[in-house]
Amino acid sequence: MKRIVAIARVETLRLLRTPAAFTLILLVPAFQVLLFGAAIRPQGGEIRVAIAAPTPAAGAQIATRLRAEAGIRLIGNVRAKGGAAAAVRAGEADIAVEIPLVRSMANPFAPNLPVRLVVDAANPALTEAGVALLYARYWQEAAGRSEVSVPPLVVERLFNPQARPDWPFLAGLIGVTMMISMVMLGCLSLAREREGGTWETLLTLPGGRLTLLLGKALPYVAIGTAQGLSVLAIGAGLFALPTRGAVLALCALLPLFAGVHFLIGYAISARAATQIAALQGAVGFYLPAMLLSGFLYPFETLPLWAQRIGLTFPLTHFVAAARDVLLRGAGARTVMLAAWPMLVALCVVGALAAWAQTRRVD
Amino acid sequence: MSTKDTDAARIDVSGLAKSFGGRLAVSGFSLRVDGGALIALIGANGGGKTTSLRMLAGLIAPDTGTGAVLGCDVQAPQRRDRARIGFMTQRISLYPELTVRDNLVFRAAMHGLHEPAKCVAQAIADHGLGAHVFSRTAHLSVGWARRVQFAATLLHAPPLLLLDEPTAGLDPVTREDIWVRLAALAAAGHTVIASTHDLMEAERCEGVILFDSGRADAATTPAALCQRAGAATLDAALITLARATAKAAA
Repeated sequence: MKRIVAIARVETLRLLRTPAAFTLILLVPAFQVLLFGAAIRPQGGEIRVAIAAPTPAAGAQIATRLRAEAGIRLIGNVRAKGGAAAAVRAGEADIAVEIPLVRSMANPFAPNLPVRLVVDAANPALTEAGVALLYARYWQEAAGRSEVSVPPLVVERLFNPQARPDWPFLAGLIGVTMMISMVMLGCLSLAREREGGTWETLLTLPGGRLTLLLGKALPYVAIGTAQGLSVLAIGAGLFALPTRGAVLALCALLPLFAGVHFLIGYAISARAATQIAALQGAVGFYLPAMLLSGFLYPFETLPLWAQRIGLTFPLTHFVAAARDVLLRGAGARTVMLAAWPMLVALCVVGALAAWAQTRRVD
Repeated sequence: MSTKDTDAARIDVSGLAKSFGGRLAVSGFSLRVDGGALIALIGANGGGKTTSLRMLAGLIAPDTGTGAVLGCDVQAPQRRDRARIGFMTQRISLYPELTVRDNLVFRAAMHGLHEPAKCVAQAIADHGLGAHVFSRTAHLSVGWARRVQFAATLLHAPPLLLLDEPTAGLDPVTREDIWVRLAALAAAGHTVIASTHDLMEAERCEGVILFDSGRADAATTPAALCQRAGAATLDAALITLARATAKAAA
C-alpha cells in the first residue's frame, strides 16, 4: 500500500509540475465547454428559402406564412417559375419552393403538377431540418383547406440526391486529416530535435532560418498532399463521393493547405520546450479549427462572432471549397477564392515561424 | 588535415559573463588563442564550462564582455561563421533513426563540402567506423556513437573545434585515441578547446582554464596551476583549490 501511495504521490507531483499536462486537464475542457456552450448550435441555423409561383399573389400568401416561421429567412421576392430552383443552384438559397399553377375554376385545364421543394442537399445537416419543417407545415395547411384536390409535394435534392450525411463529412475530412497530421508533425519537428539532443548541433551548422524551415517543411508537404489525395481516393472509391467540379484545382490546393498547417505546427514547436507541450499546442489549435470550420456543424449555425473566428482558420475555407467542388461541381474560381486566405496565412505564419525559431539556446 | 586561417587570433574574448534567471553561470571568462592551441576547460559540474563553450560557439550571447571569435563579435552570435566551427555537444547529437553514413552525409551536405561522398568515406576510414556504416546510430553503444559524433564534428576540417566533454563515457583506449587525434589536429594548426573531467587528459594540453562555481580563472599551463595549488598533480591541485574556495565561501 505504501508503494502505491508513493507512486501516486510522485505521479501527482509530476503532473502538477508539468504545465503541458495541466493544460490538458484544465484548459482544453474549459475551452470545449466555452465553445459548445456559446457557439455550437447544430440545429439553430437559419434556412434561406426562395419562392417561385405562377402569380405573385399565389406566392405572397405562402411567403407571408413562411415569414412567421422561426428559422426560415425568405430570400428576395416571389420569383417566376423556375426562379427559386435557380437560386438554390446559384447558392443564393438553401431550399426553393416551386409552386405550380393549381387547377381551379379560373384555370380548369391546368395540369395537376406537384409543389416542388428543391433542396441544396450538399449539407443535409443544415437543410434536412428545413425540409421536414416545410413538409409538415404544407400538410397541416392542406388538412385545413376545403379543396378536394391538393397538389402533392415532392422533394428534389440537388448535389446529394439521397441526402447522404457521409458525403459532406468525407469532403471536409480531406482537410481535417491533413490539418491534424500537419500541425502535429510540425509541432514535433523542432521539439523532437530539442529533446533528442540534435538541436544544439543543428544550430552550429551553416544555414539560416529559412533553410531549416524549408528543409523541414518539404517532406511533410509532400506527405500531407499524399494523405489528402488518399482520403479523396478512398472517399470516391469506397463511398461514391462525387468528384464533380474542378477536382484538379482542388488537388493543387492541397500542398498549400498542408504547408500552412505544417508552418503553424512549426511555429508552435519553435516555442515549445518539450514534445508534450508542443502537442498540447497542436490540440489547442486544431480543436477550435475543427469545431468552428463548419466540418462537424453547419458553419451557418454559428453565431456571428464564432463565424468571424472560424474564418481565420484555413480549414474553414478548405471545407467550404471541397464541398463546393466535389458535391456542387464548383469550378476553379471557388478554389482560387479559398486559396487567397491560405496564401495570406502562409505568409503570416511563415514569418511568425521563422521569427519564433531562435538560433540560440539561451 | 590542414587548415588555412588568417585571423590574428582565433579567439580573443575578455570578461565574458552569463546568468540564467539571476543565477550566475559564468563570469570573468577571458581567452586569447591562436591557431594550433589545445586548451582544456576543467572544474566541477555546473562550473560554467559548457556555458563558456556555447558562448564561443555562438549559441549563447554573453551578458557582458567583449571580444571576437574567428573575427566575429562575441556579442553577435548570429554572425558567427558556423562553417569554420566544429562544435561537439556532451550529449550524443546524432539522428537515431539514421545510419552512421546518413548522419555523416547530412553533416557533409550542411557544410556544403565538395565531394561529400569522398569526405564521408574518408571519415569512416579515419575513425574506424567501417563495421558500423549501415547501423542506425540508435543501435550503437555510447562509445561508438561518440566516435561517430566526433567524426561528424571533424568532417569539414574546421579551424576552431569546441568540444564539450568529448570523451565522457568512453573506454580508456578510445579516450586515448581521441586525445591523440586532438593533439595531432592542434599540431596541424587547428584550435581545440575541450572541456573535461579527466585531469590526465587536461595535462596533455598546453593551457587549462579552471572553472569554479561560475568563476573562470585566467588560462594557464597545467604546471603553473599545480604550482599555484602546491600540488604534485593536476588532480590534487583541483581538489585543493576547490576546497580552498569552499572554505573561503563558508
